[in-house]
Amino acid sequence: MITAGLDIGSTTSKAVLLDGDRLLGAAVVPNAALPSASARLVFDAVLDGSGVARGAVGAVATTGYGRRLAGFGDFVITEIKACALGAVRVGSPRGPIRTVLDLGGQDTKVVAIGESGGVEDFAMNDKCAAGTGRFLEMLARKLDLPLEAFIAAALRSRNPIHMNATCAVFAESEVVSLLARNIDKEDIAAAAHQAIADRIGAMVRRVGQQEVIAFVGGGALNRALAAMVEESLNKKVHIPESPQTLVALGAAIAAGGRAAEAAL
Amino acid sequence: MNRQPTNPYALRPAFSDNPGNRRKQAFVEADQRRRLDEIPQRPADIPYFVERLVNAAAAPKRRPRIGLLCNVAPVEIVMAAGADPVRLDCGNSAAAVAGEEMLAGDVCPLAKATIGVFMREDGLPATCDAFIVPATCDAKRKLGEILADYGPVFQFALPVDKDTVRHSAEAAAELRHLAAFAGKVTGRAPTRKALRAAIALTNHRSDIVHRLQEARIAHPGALSIRDLFVCIQASLFSPEPLETWVAHAENLVHAVKAFTAERRNLRRRVVLTGAPIIWPNFKVLNVLEECGALVAADTLCSGAQACIDPVVLAETSLDACFRALAARSVFGALCPCFSSQATRLSRVLDLVEKTRADGVVQYALRLCQPFDIENYRLERVLKERRIPFLNLRTDYSLEDTEQLRVRIEAFLETV
Repeated sequence: MITAGLDIGSTTSKAVLLDGDRLLGAAVVPNAALPSASARLVFDAVLDGSGVARGAVGAVATTGYGRRLAGFGDFVITEIKACALGAVRVGSPRGPIRTVLDLGGQDTKVVAIGESGGVEDFAMNDKCAAGTGRFLEMLARKLDLPLEAFIAAALRSRNPIHMNATCAVFAESEVVSLLARNIDKEDIAAAAHQAIADRIGAMVRRVGQQEVIAFVGGGALNRALAAMVEESLNKKVHIPESPQTLVALGAAIAAGGRAAEAAL
Repeated sequence: MNRQPTNPYALRPAFSDNPGNRRKQAFVEADQRRRLDEIPQRPADIPYFVERLVNAAAAPKRRPRIGLLCNVAPVEIVMAAGADPVRLDCGNSAAAVAGEEMLAGDVCPLAKATIGVFMREDGLPATCDAFIVPATCDAKRKLGEILADYGPVFQFALPVDKDTVRHSAEAAAELRHLAAFAGKVTGRAPTRKALRAAIALTNHRSDIVHRLQEARIAHPGALSIRDLFVCIQASLFSPEPLETWVAHAENLVHAVKAFTAERRNLRRRVVLTGAPIIWPNFKVLNVLEECGALVAADTLCSGAQACIDPVVLAETSLDACFRALAARSVFGALCPCFSSQATRLSRVLDLVEKTRADGVVQYALRLCQPFDIENYRLERVLKERRIPFLNLRTDYSLEDTEQLRVRIEAFLETV
């Protein structure tokens, strides 16, 4: 049976189509104003990309912030559980994934996976943008750099400085004062990445850092951040092939499982 | 009358005239009332408790009134002095914003909301003749001096730990000072007879809360945790006579005991611990129940823990009454202001066993450091025993409701 997993996040929406174990397609789209519109957009995108007809999809699971606001779907699952299901499925060359760090636009999650593959424990950032992907996007804008250039600048930094990441709004004014002191953009970009890496590193350590540790979500596409997270954990992290759609993959797996249960 | 030496730096009490904020305070209450109306299973007596709680400030004043903060000063002493006790801690998020006229934004929301209500000339504190402010956390310790601008304040001193060998006599002596203070406010010093009568009445309340708890454990779903909190808080946060509450609460116990479920309740049972959840800040309770959790028991000083333990009198002298009151209110308190958290840990573990709970949820009020710090040991002790645990760190505002929902749903999926 073909199943779909839709992950309606705070910044982007992701979709995965599965036919049993076979991946038929995946899509990532920037969000529309309403979660229901984002859900339709990303579902259309994944159907178009894979050439599957809407009517051929047997079950749709929704997850992420907009999971209850999608307006369609057969089954709702939290992104925590979807994340674990996705991670167990993709695995890693070094063995099963036991810890997942998911850096999204609005929140950061750490999920500990037990030996049986279920969620053993999890943590999320408090209500605050300071430990999230949004923090980096805001600071990139303040430095007048596109996100890619901001990441590249961070990788070029040779004179690291220290910055706190306790408040995303105040961090913007800190950036302004650093610029006024003629600090290089590279060093500011690196400090911003470092601040996030330290915060999320502490969160991973609180949950426990059982290896293999996977880094997923939009944040995992950021090479500078991945390097600094590894340094902060003093451990290697595994970045799956499509880190942004891992949660949507988990939702599609869950949809398959639920549909099979219902068929019994 | 002020227990502190007269403050040479006393200020005139500050009041706030902000109609917009008053409107928001009323909105916050009305909104939570609407949420209560959505509870599916509600015994017939619940509206009495809702009205009593919501209209506390409008209750007719029949005798002197003494306002208290926290749950560690025994109300029996106030009652024995011929005054009505009323708890003044506040859970209104809009009142917390009003409190920011006086206190910095990153002070504990409970302290800000409480001061926000003192800043209303039509608020419940304005009807009180005196206040009892325990030196529990830093916020309360410092509020005492500010509240002394609004009326006579007894700053109730507490031992740092619960070593009864060291602190029993001093705690009883502190209650004697409190009795003298209350007697001065009312002109009627508490007698042994009056104190025993007050203890008999509050022990009746403890018995009711105990029976409600037992009935809820036996029949989960018979009474929502939100309605239980409304019922308990209607007795603590309203100056109306406890006798009337007792009569209605007896009816409630009958209704809850008579409840028969149509089918077995399969919802996940959790024990709730942590910071006080005070009307109308029921955000966490709303989300827990909406996500399908069944809060089987709690250790909150604004929930069952506030009055479930009776006063155990072994002797009849006034001193014996003070010692027994100290044993219940001070040494039995689960407040994290004491150096050790062992009492709370034991209570949590005991409740997990009694209720056959699937997990423990802690409500950690943001900016409340004692609960934040206690979280370290709580989490490890529970995990060592393989009891699933979720720490919800949040404040009075509603903006993180969806985030809380994700955490709670995921937790319930996990346990």
